[in-house]
Amino acid sequence: MNGGEWGIYIVLYFWFAAMGGGAFLVSLLGKNPSTQRLGAWMAFFGVVVGALLLIVDLGQPQRFWHLLVSFKPVSVMWLGSAVLALDGLALFLLLLLKEWPRWLVWTAAVLTLLVVGYTGVLLMATAKPFWSASPLMPWLFLASAYTTGAALLALFGANGRVHQIALWMGIIEGILLLLHLVWTYPAAGRAVRALLTGELAWAFWGFVLFGLLVPLYLEARRQSPLLAAVLVLLGGLLLRYFVVYAGQIGYVI
Amino acid sequence: MPKGEDFAILFDTSYCTGCRACQVGCKQWNDLPATETQNTGSYDPLTLSAHTWLKMSFFEGLDKEGEVYWDFVRTSCMHCSDAACVDACPTGAMNYRPGGVVTVDQDWCIGCRNCVQACPYDAVHYDEEKGVVQKCTLCYDRVANGLEPACVKACPTGALRFGRYGELRAAAEKRVRALKADGFSEANLYGLKEMGGTHVIYVLLRHPSTYDLPLNPKTQKEKVAVGWLSAGIAAATLGGLSWIIARREELSGGES
Repeated sequence: MNGGEWGIYIVLYFWFAAMGGGAFLVSLLGKNPSTQRLGAWMAFFGVVVGALLLIVDLGQPQRFWHLLVSFKPVSVMWLGSAVLALDGLALFLLLLLKEWPRWLVWTAAVLTLLVVGYTGVLLMATAKPFWSASPLMPWLFLASAYTTGAALLALFGANGRVHQIALWMGIIEGILLLLHLVWTYPAAGRAVRALLTGELAWAFWGFVLFGLLVPLYLEARRQSPLLAAVLVLLGGLLLRYFVVYAGQIGYVI
Repeated sequence: MPKGEDFAILFDTSYCTGCRACQVGCKQWNDLPATETQNTGSYDPLTLSAHTWLKMSFFEGLDKEGEVYWDFVRTSCMHCSDAACVDACPTGAMNYRPGGVVTVDQDWCIGCRNCVQACPYDAVHYDEEKGVVQKCTLCYDRVANGLEPACVKACPTGALRFGRYGELRAAAEKRVRALKADGFSEANLYGLKEMGGTHVIYVLLRHPSTYDLPLNPKTQKEKVAVGWLSAGIAAATLGGLSWIIARREELSGGES
C-alpha cells in the first residue's frame, strides 16, 4: 500500500488492462485467427494481472469478495469489477474453444470495450477537477488502448494494419490530450501546471516526446517498427502515470 | 430531500468566533490523534484527513465597500441526502443510516478509496493503519442516545445547533431574513439544494464561493450518466475509426 492515493498499482492496472484489451480489439479488426487468438491471450493476461493488482491495492485485500456479493451498478467501481470478472470468464472460454462462436466473440469484445472504457468513467465520476472537468477521459483511455494494443501485437510480429492503427490512433490521442489540458485548465490549473512545468513534467514531456512524437515519426516513415512499438507501450505507461497522479495533486487522500 | 424529523446540524457563521472548540471536541470524543503539521501562519491542519473529521477554515479579504472581513466556515461531512460517497461505494459499506446520517461500516469497507475521490466536500479520507476510510459520523453514538454531537456540545456561541431538520431549517430561514434586514444583503442558506439537500445546513454572510464551498455540485448519478454517455460515444467513434483504418489498409493491399 502507498499513502492512500490511487497510486502505482492503479497506474499499472490501467496500463495492463488497456494494452491487453486494446490488442484483442485490434486483432478483431483483421481476419487472421492466430492473431485473434494472440489478442485474446493478451486481453486475458491483462484482465487477470489487472484484477490481482486491484486486489493488492485495496486497504483490506482479503475482503475483495464483498464486491462479488454486492449489486451496485451506479458505482463505477462495482460495475468495473463486475465487467472485469465477466470479461475474464468470456476470454477464458474463447481460449478453451478451437472454433469461436460469433456470439461469444461479440460478448468478449463488448466486455473488453467496457473494461477499457470504464476506467475513464471512473475518473470522470470523481470530485477531482483534472479528471472530471472534461468528458474526455474515456476518449483518451480508449485511444491509448488502441495504440498500445496495436503496438503490443506489432511487437509479437503482426504487421500491416496494426501500424496504421497505432499511427492514426496516436495522432488522435495527441489531439485528445491537448484538448483535455485546455478544457480542464480553468478548473484544474494546478494539475495542468504540474504537468507542463512542475513535478510531473518529466512524465508528461517524456510521453509527448518518446511515447508519441518519436513513434509517430517512425510509423509514418515505416522505420524501426519494433522500436516504435516499445516506445508506444512505455508511453502508455507514462500517460496513465501522469493522469492518475495529476488528478490528486494538492489533495490529502 | 431530508425528512423533517431527520437529525441535522445548523452552522451559523454570523455567530462563529473561530475558536475551534468544535474541532477539538470532535478529536476528543472520537479519539482522533493529533496530526503533525507545519506552521503556515498557524499550526492548524490545512485539510481534513482520516484523523481530522472537522476543521474550521478561515477566510479574510476586502468586501465591495473596501471593509476588511474575517469569516469562518465549518468544513466537514455535510451528510448529503444524495451522497456521492454512498453512490461511489462498490460494496454498500458507505450508507445512509436512520435519521439521514451517512456513515461507513468499517467491517465491510474494502479500502478502495472511490468515496474519497467522489466527495465534493473532501470529507472522506483513508486511514492507512486501518485500511478503511473514515469520516464524521455526526456522532451517531451520541445522537442515537439522545446527546448532541461533540462539536455542537463544545460550541460556546450558539453558532452550532443540533436538532430535527424541519425545525433547524425553519430557524435558519428566519435567521437569514433577520440578517438581511440588518444589512447583510448577501446572507444566504447553503445546503438546501446541494447534493439532494444536506443534513448540515449553513447560514452564510457572504456568497458560498467566499468560503470555497462548491457551487451546484453534481450528484454522483449525474456524473456517472455523463461519463457512460461520453464513453459510449467514444467507443462508437474510435471503434468506427479503427474499423475504417483497417478496411482502408486491407483495400490498399496491406496484410493482417
